Amino acid sequence: MMRPWIRGGTAVFFLLFAAGVTWPGMVPFNRIEPLVLGLPFSMAWIAFLVALSFLVLAILDRVEEKAERRDGEDA
Amino acid sequence: MMERWVIVAVIIALYLGVTLGIGLRAGLRASKSVTGFVAGDRAFGLLIMYFIFGATMFSAFAFLGGPGWAYSRGAAAFYILSYGVLGMAPWYSMGPRAARVGREFGFVTQAQLLVGRFPSRALSVIMATLTVLAFVPYVTLQMRGAGIVIEAVTDGHVPLWLGAALAYGIVLIYVLSSGVAAVGWTNTFQGIFMLIIAWTLGIYLPMRLYGGIGPMFERIAAERPELLTAPGLTATGEPWTWGGYSTAILVSALGVAMWPHLFMKAFTARDDRTIRRTVVLFPTFQLFLIPVFIIGFAGVLFPERPPDPDFILPFMILRSDLPALVVGLFCAGALSASMSTGDALLHAGASITVEDGIRPFRDLTDDQQRRWMRALVVGLGAVSYFFALYQGISLVRLLLSSYGIIVQFMPPLLAALYWRRATTAGVVSGLLSGTAVTVFFFIQGHLRPLDLHEGILGVLVHVPVLVGVSLLTRDARPAATDRFLAVARGGRGG
Repeated sequence: MMRPWIRGGTAVFFLLFAAGVTWPGMVPFNRIEPLVLGLPFSMAWIAFLVALSFLVLAILDRVEEKAERRDGEDA
Repeated sequence: MMERWVIVAVIIALYLGVTLGIGLRAGLRASKSVTGFVAGDRAFGLLIMYFIFGATMFSAFAFLGGPGWAYSRGAAAFYILSYGVLGMAPWYSMGPRAARVGREFGFVTQAQLLVGRFPSRALSVIMATLTVLAFVPYVTLQMRGAGIVIEAVTDGHVPLWLGAALAYGIVLIYVLSSGVAAVGWTNTFQGIFMLIIAWTLGIYLPMRLYGGIGPMFERIAAERPELLTAPGLTATGEPWTWGGYSTAILVSALGVAMWPHLFMKAFTARDDRTIRRTVVLFPTFQLFLIPVFIIGFAGVLFPERPPDPDFILPFMILRSDLPALVVGLFCAGALSASMSTGDALLHAGASITVEDGIRPFRDLTDDQQRRWMRALVVGLGAVSYFFALYQGISLVRLLLSSYGIIVQFMPPLLAALYWRRATTAGVVSGLLSGTAVTVFFFIQGHLRPLDLHEGILGVLVHVPVLVGVSLLTRDARPAATDRFLAVARGGRGG
């Protein structure tokens, strides 16, 4: 039931990711200050998106795994 | 007291010896068949897959070229951090689909998958040709990277031609003897090594030179702020354009999973679970890039300038009063980066040339195939080595150009795995037109609108041609197409 929503959500996330690292989406985050963990903000922003991707993919995977297992049992 | 370069040379020799040992041992388990040599008997587990993808992607490009860009072009290098995950994410769905049809129909290469859905020997040869065309600059840059590092850290006693020959002589030996199993295991070793070296230096160098990462960036912000905001600078120090930066990200993201040597690893995975888990974990490998950039930025305010930006990393290492042991280990790390990509490319290039360039036209016994592949590994290596000795373009520029060709594989592969209505005529015409446009704008770079990457321009033509011609032609074998797509989907809406 959840599956199509999570998949759609993941796709949307990555479209936003692409928008957020290219022009014009990157522009508001494209500054040096404040430094985050010592890194310029622009770099930290990208790193943050990468870290977030890990979470998003992990959630997607969890949902897919459970659905696969459930489908397997029904078969 | 032994001279520094001798100690360093000994460490390099030890490192190469260990790598060779691992590579040869790996071959003892794999079967002697073509499936063994090319696809590892379809048995790679998560650890190996993680490092195959990670270490293959992190080549001399990342270890030397990345810092080189951070050093000379500043935030332009951020494009490298931006595209990895973006490009790997679709693999979550695509990888298992490719693996399923691979298992069902016995594919070991990317072109075989395409031809499996769109029968055409011409398509097979086109793919093989384009693959080799894209691979050669890529291998060349790996060999140059290896040669540069060895020459730099031995204070010139082991010149570029010899260092590259030694490192790649080792690669040839283990690829010839063990095939892709060697690639998997050596990449795991090399990947771990690279990570340790990258993080250690990424923390040590800023500490030593500036008193910390934060202080380092604050000083750069004060003296050269233009380096810290996208899109950074061009190779000549002018501001880069958003068009160039954004499309570098897009072309690389669209293309990264299409690299034949990565794509065909779908056929080596033990099961779909493994592929999906590799994708989920991939962002972690991407984050490991961060120290590599930090190292590049550490060089920005360095008083001396290296002969070439790509040399910045060994240049700094050598001038930072580090013990010879550390210098040797750094070199091993850089060699890891280079060899872990070079081996995958040589292996895949040879396999693809035989499978997609020769076999559609001549029947070969299993034994003959293996012999051809081995000969081609040597041949490809020789051609790339020749260029490595004479090249002068930036390591990153070389790779970014190759992407223009590789990204043309994306539309046909998507069509093959997801679009019922695609036809052979559509795919072939799309591929040819897209490639033609890309090559045109590569040669006539100044004609590119908005500084857009030539590969993106190619895709803008490729896709409408693929779609248009497909809609105007008919599928000659609808039942086979239905079966192909059903297998790809996995029967349960996958």
